[in-house]
Amino acid sequence: MRIAMANRMTPYMFMAPAVIIMAIALLYPLGYMVWGSFREWNPSQSIGEAEFVGLKNYIFLWSDPNFHESLGVTLRFAFFVVTIEMVLGVGLALLLDRDIRGMSVLRTMFILPMMIAPVVVGLMWRYMYHPTIGTFNRFLETIGLPKVDWLGDYALTSIIIADIWQWTPFIFILSLAALQSLPRSALEAARIDGATPWQQIIHIKLPLMMPVLIVTGLLRLIDAFKVLEVILVMTNGGPGLSTEILALRISRTATEFRELGVAAAMSNYLLILLLLLTVAMFGFTRWQEARAAKLRMVAQDDDQ
Amino acid sequence: MLKSLKLGALAALMAGAAFANPYEEYAGTTLIVNFPAHPHYNAAMKVLPEFTKETGIEVEVDQLPYLKMRERQTLELAQDEGEYDLIAYVVFSKADYVFADQLENLAKYFMNPKLADPNYDAEDLIDGYVENIGVAGGTKGYLPGKTGSLFGIPFGSETSVLAYRKDIFEKHGIAEPETYDQLLDAACKIPEVEPGMGGMASRAASGHQASHAFLLHLAPLGGRVFDDQWNPIINNAAGVAAAEALKTIVDCGPEGAMSFGPAEAANAFSNGDAAMFMDSIAFMPGFENPDRSKVVGKVGYAMHPKGVRRGSQTGGFGIAIPKNAENKEAAFLLMQWLTSKKGDLMVAMEGGNPSRFSTYQDAGLNEKFPFASTFGEALKYADPDWRPIIPVWGKINADIGTTLSKVLTEDLDIQEALDGVADRTKAVMEDAGYYTWQ
Repeated sequence: MRIAMANRMTPYMFMAPAVIIMAIALLYPLGYMVWGSFREWNPSQSIGEAEFVGLKNYIFLWSDPNFHESLGVTLRFAFFVVTIEMVLGVGLALLLDRDIRGMSVLRTMFILPMMIAPVVVGLMWRYMYHPTIGTFNRFLETIGLPKVDWLGDYALTSIIIADIWQWTPFIFILSLAALQSLPRSALEAARIDGATPWQQIIHIKLPLMMPVLIVTGLLRLIDAFKVLEVILVMTNGGPGLSTEILALRISRTATEFRELGVAAAMSNYLLILLLLLTVAMFGFTRWQEARAAKLRMVAQDDDQ
Repeated sequence: MLKSLKLGALAALMAGAAFANPYEEYAGTTLIVNFPAHPHYNAAMKVLPEFTKETGIEVEVDQLPYLKMRERQTLELAQDEGEYDLIAYVVFSKADYVFADQLENLAKYFMNPKLADPNYDAEDLIDGYVENIGVAGGTKGYLPGKTGSLFGIPFGSETSVLAYRKDIFEKHGIAEPETYDQLLDAACKIPEVEPGMGGMASRAASGHQASHAFLLHLAPLGGRVFDDQWNPIINNAAGVAAAEALKTIVDCGPEGAMSFGPAEAANAFSNGDAAMFMDSIAFMPGFENPDRSKVVGKVGYAMHPKGVRRGSQTGGFGIAIPKNAENKEAAFLLMQWLTSKKGDLMVAMEGGNPSRFSTYQDAGLNEKFPFASTFGEALKYADPDWRPIIPVWGKINADIGTTLSKVLTEDLDIQEALDGVADRTKAVMEDAGYYTWQ
């Protein structure tokens, strides 16, 4: 009896340390944030002193035009950044998936932007975009084109360019790894059947890479929603609110406006949004896999 | 000069020997103070060894970037027993700390005959600074008045002055701007007569910077953010005039002015890209530094021009004793020493911003920094109410700043934009309970 009981308990006992660490490191702060989002909480108060206001912070945000604008900026930023980075990153990986001399050096150089601290990236680009002494405008001037007010009139485009420069290598490196681990047999079979390189990419490489690409895209998407330092340094959200992404608005709400409750509510909205996106993305892969399985079944039936 | 300082220190030592030494009881104490990384406090740290030598009180400095200070202090002040004995605070933190009851009222220290130096001469402290940075609880809660009391002493305070290129102004026969009309005329005339050069470099970046630049013009042009009943009046004629002035200045300013912060604006001026720069006195010593400035010796310094009245900004830092400090009395002695006539002059000679009228009149200081007398004159008009210091200000400030940035970049109608700010501000104030008694 005892032994049976102990046997049944064993897996739970092995899991216990992990569960406890998860609870302390993940659930407690998350719970704290959710709890705080229901309060009118100023940083000089402890959470116990803050007044409970129910859903007021959430309702306020729902009708706050600044929050809407910031959400719009975030969605636009994330959409463009992830789409362009995926195309460029995967494209580069397909081009460079071959034996070139000095490939390892090249690869290291490609991932350099990713290794630079975000604040430095922000400063670097800010000076490159500088209206008078910046590299871009000086270049435009020498070839006789009019100067562009990068961080003024085209602020969002400019930060998108900077982000693409920094994060395309991330997608490149993961896609390259995925490409190199593809089963050679499938590619060889395709070659023997006379598939052109283009057909190989569309029908063999991309579908086989899909699971990796989806996870990569998802990681970039989550990151794009949370990017803060580069934009903080480059534009601090300006001009107007045109580059004030949600992470920046959350940080300003907490430190500048001193409204921890509202900042927590905003973080929760962001969390919910990301959760929905993740679930939708995994749902989509599930559906695709199911469809592929069905097609295979049909194909097998036809063969018989 | 140094000699007389040394003599002064010696005299103080001798006086200490002749009478009872007020510092004796506290010798050996170690004070932990929180200072910002700022030229004034770098100067102050150079004179701290002198304090230790004279009093036997050790000082340990925790220096932080000034925008990080508030976060750190908010955490530290909320604890039962804090780490800091003395803190330097940015002026807009005053409302939060006093409202949360986290700073010592200084009355009991100045009443204590064992601690208060009879030769301190508080009358000599610059009025606008004390009113803006030190006093809380009077008129409107943040200004001096019959119900107000002192919570801090200005140390590293700043006002605004106008720096202009003497050579350019002389070359084109433009007079030193006395009034706002002259200022705006000059700002737009310069790019015409001096191609490639902007009129005036000003902060204008979205958020705090744009709001700061607007408020800088609002007070002299006769405007205020609120009337006496806390109704927003930022959208009245004076408010519109101030926003128009800012727009004119930015439009006639150097290239890319719309995204300038204070450092970029100062750089544009010291680089020769603009003929004027109007901002805090803290930037001015940099223009006379040959390592960083191309305009050394070409710069004239004038008072902040007059609109319908004179009113230059008040800002910068003060020092205060936290309620949860461990060595409050020794902290008061340090505070008193640093802001005494002697301490203030010593810090000023190292490049700090004086807090006393007498320091600005000192011959030695005027010899070392030629602009000191103009600054001393400008300080008489320092306006303690140029910007409200209330707990909800951060939010209103951000709204003013982003809206004005839109005015500058997207050509929003000024009246309409300011009406919007006034409406939203009204809602914020309503929510914070400012209309409870109406």
